[in-house]
Amino acid sequence: MRLRQVRRVAQGLGVVLAFLGVAGIGMTHVIYPGLHCYACPWAVTVCPVGLLQNLVIARTVPLYFVGALTLYGVALGRGWCGWFCPFGTLNDLLAFRRRRFGKGLTATKFAVLVGTVIVAWRVADSWFCKLCPEASLVASLPYLGMGLAQVNTPFLIHMGTLAGTLVGMVLVARFWCRYLCPMGALLSLFNRVSLFGLRVEGERCTACGVCGRVCPMGIEPHRDINSTDCIKCGRCVTGCPTRALSLGFSLPGKEGRDPLRRPRARPRADGVSSHQ
Amino acid sequence: MNLLVVVVFAVTLGAWAQNVEVRLEPGDGSRLGDWAQASVPLRLKPTGPQDVKFDGPSLATALWGEFALGQAKYAVLLGTRATGEVNLWVDRNRDRRLTTDEGQAGTAGPGRSTWSVSLRAEPSGGEPYTYALSILWPEGRGYVYLLGGAPKVGTLIVDQRSYRLAFLDGDLDGVYGTKGDFYAVDVDGDGVFYADPDGHERFELGETFTVGDKTYRLAQVAPSGTFVRVAPTVYAPPKPALIPGHPAPDFRFTSLVEDRSLALSDFRGKVVLLDFWATWCGPCMNELPHLKDLHAKYRGQGFEIVGVSLDIYPAELKRVVEGEGLAWPIAFEGKQWDNSLALMYRVYQIPTSYLLDRKGVIRYRDLHGGELEQKIMELLAEGSAQAPEAVPLPPVVLPAGPPRSILELNLPPRAGLVARGKTQTTLQLVNTSPYEAEEVKVLVQNLPAGVKAQEVEVGNIPPFGERTVTLAFEAQDLPTALPAGLVLVVYHYCIGDACFQMVDKGELAWVVGREAPVRASWNPWWVLVAVGVALLAAWALKGRLLVVVLVLLVVGGSLALALGIRRGQARQAERVGATLCTSCVGIEEAPRRQVALSAQARSILATLTRRVRVTVFYTAWCKSCPYVKAVVQAMAQVNPLVEVELVDAEGEPARAEAAGVLRAGRLVVPATVVAGSGQVLFGADNIEDRVLQQLVRVGR
Repeated sequence: MRLRQVRRVAQGLGVVLAFLGVAGIGMTHVIYPGLHCYACPWAVTVCPVGLLQNLVIARTVPLYFVGALTLYGVALGRGWCGWFCPFGTLNDLLAFRRRRFGKGLTATKFAVLVGTVIVAWRVADSWFCKLCPEASLVASLPYLGMGLAQVNTPFLIHMGTLAGTLVGMVLVARFWCRYLCPMGALLSLFNRVSLFGLRVEGERCTACGVCGRVCPMGIEPHRDINSTDCIKCGRCVTGCPTRALSLGFSLPGKEGRDPLRRPRARPRADGVSSHQ
Repeated sequence: MNLLVVVVFAVTLGAWAQNVEVRLEPGDGSRLGDWAQASVPLRLKPTGPQDVKFDGPSLATALWGEFALGQAKYAVLLGTRATGEVNLWVDRNRDRRLTTDEGQAGTAGPGRSTWSVSLRAEPSGGEPYTYALSILWPEGRGYVYLLGGAPKVGTLIVDQRSYRLAFLDGDLDGVYGTKGDFYAVDVDGDGVFYADPDGHERFELGETFTVGDKTYRLAQVAPSGTFVRVAPTVYAPPKPALIPGHPAPDFRFTSLVEDRSLALSDFRGKVVLLDFWATWCGPCMNELPHLKDLHAKYRGQGFEIVGVSLDIYPAELKRVVEGEGLAWPIAFEGKQWDNSLALMYRVYQIPTSYLLDRKGVIRYRDLHGGELEQKIMELLAEGSAQAPEAVPLPPVVLPAGPPRSILELNLPPRAGLVARGKTQTTLQLVNTSPYEAEEVKVLVQNLPAGVKAQEVEVGNIPPFGERTVTLAFEAQDLPTALPAGLVLVVYHYCIGDACFQMVDKGELAWVVGREAPVRASWNPWWVLVAVGVALLAAWALKGRLLVVVLVLLVVGGSLALALGIRRGQARQAERVGATLCTSCVGIEEAPRRQVALSAQARSILATLTRRVRVTVFYTAWCKSCPYVKAVVQAMAQVNPLVEVELVDAEGEPARAEAAGVLRAGRLVVPATVVAGSGQVLFGADNIEDRVLQQLVRVGR
């Protein structure tokens, strides 16, 4: 229960940082550690995916971008998706159903990432931004309200991607984060080495599968701990009946951080570890 | 010793007794004349002071500024509502909250809005007083002008004669007697203050004035302008009047063309146009063909031109004189505004010209075109015997004060030199005005023996823009004593048709190193490759080896971040975020069709009769910008009166901001500004029609 409240506060902070421009603060040099369009009238940080495309178009060696992303990744990995990203928070709020759906499709987000970069390179245009549902929500709609945007084809395309994503979010938990988010794909590369991560105590795990059932990302943490899709939200930790899972900061490679190397002995019916 | 103290005391008391106090009362600036309205630009920013809150209606755009009247600070908010209505709020009660009742009632004119506000100035060491101020916003700009100066007037009595004295807070800081303030004395007692920047009744704070046979200087100024005290000083001749009806001050000069000594009085009997000009002054150069025609046409009838060049470089002047075939005497000293003749005639802007009749009396000033020719003909027809008639004063069209520097020069504390090696140092130039600094050059003089430095051509610096300039030095053997170098920043700027040449100076101290710094040359791609390899290893490795990967990533990431910041990529990221390309984020579709102006558009363009400047703000990655650029360039081809200027908004963000190319805190591109229309046209949708509408409004 406590973990969940802490996470809600952190997600609130993510939303506050995303819309800090309301307080009259101008654009800063900071790269946002999640997906948040810099075209949003109240954004004070730079969207990493938008910036990446611009760097590719400008043929800039992306030192600042890679440096910031590496430090973000090393700190939390995809924990940013579960604990900070406002669009991830919206996914959470709309996750009415936890339907399992196309597990093999989770690699799509890597295709989106690679495609975004290739298109930016070849066409010299930021096509992802033109389709991005987050931009539809926080940029296109506000600009329509301010009279700067018009209801034209690009606007309707934006609304289409937003509607499709919202429907997806309602039907499949963390739909966007699971299948499509290029920022999630980038951060997932760091999941295994990030300081923030899940740990499993093999002796306690009874492989009951509860963690997999509560996981919004549709993974089975006890089998595939800190996998590329794990957003470290901690649902599995609070859901685990034997408290085999824990979440916190630890060095990568520490016992329990990696997937279990060999199948454990069949657990005793009373749940007591065979070592005891 | 005691006697000495007594004498000093007596002399001081005696001098004090001779001082004359003039009590001052608030004066009516509009009745005193245009000179009594000082103007100071105030730059506005998208974000306000942190501690100021705004309790008012919701605004589509907001621009903030702050100014001080003495110790009283006033926050200003210029807000545009979604309906397009523009309002101004001034924090009159200084509670750091802008409330609805602090909104000012304004008047809107063509291309500008003006608000009048009565504030309280609180000068340090003086009593608070009421300060009337007007705030003028040229529509679409990122700055406002503060207009006012709170003139105070009083009467000075000397030898039972009274002279009116006026004092102006010229820098609008709410404190009288500070730099930028000036005063005027009606020395000829005709009831009019000739106090324009070149007027003979205008005096800077340290300047003396002469009434009758006595000369006075300012001895004391009350910070709140309630009184001034003047003290007698050594007699100085009064300033000659440079107004029609008065004789033109005579001077002697060496003619550049004929290389012989001449005096203005040598031309007595001829109608003379005394023309102050320079080759760098665009309006002056535009006038040259007309002057050549007039000279050729009327020379035989007794017309002559005397040119006074405010150029710096003789080679440039000779090239123009010979290239254009100018056949009239030209005075040249190479001192720009310090030219003795320009000082004598108190020239503060060029072109400035005086038309003298055959008796050497100033009859007209600043005439151009057909009007100049007509007056020359009239004066030639007058004949030498005819006495000058009383001539009405010319209309005063002088907008600003004397030429003042608009660039701020930030020099490093020391510049490095190494024997037999090359070094570099950087300095920053910041344009503090809403005017463009043109053809800026930086050169270093007083270089130590054996040290060479190249002159750097910076180009133009847009309003409120800044440039970093790198100076390169190459030294041979260095002496032990190194006198400070002199950095000269040479540029000019124009306000309307008046241009000013400036030379700003700064001192550069030297520090001598042993050898030239060696810059490590290595490819930063390796940092990224290292991060990539570490990530791949993270997939393959397990256990404690992952800690090694973690360390590699932290080191690689930090290094990449530091290198990126050093290479200006953080600033690049901020610029990417602060510039909004309408087609990139899907606010509109980038037009991909060929530009083809319709026959109707061409016929409308052909009807333009006035020169109009169209500026397109773009960025390199903006998709619809090429189309907009092509449209306005096609228009310029149809009618050359349409002047096109393309501005990289990313490269010159301050200029874009000043032009109002800013919405919701973002520079929005493409943005098209038709000068004088007061509107910014965003995007490429239907841009042909929208630009045409503005051109018709402004260009007919």
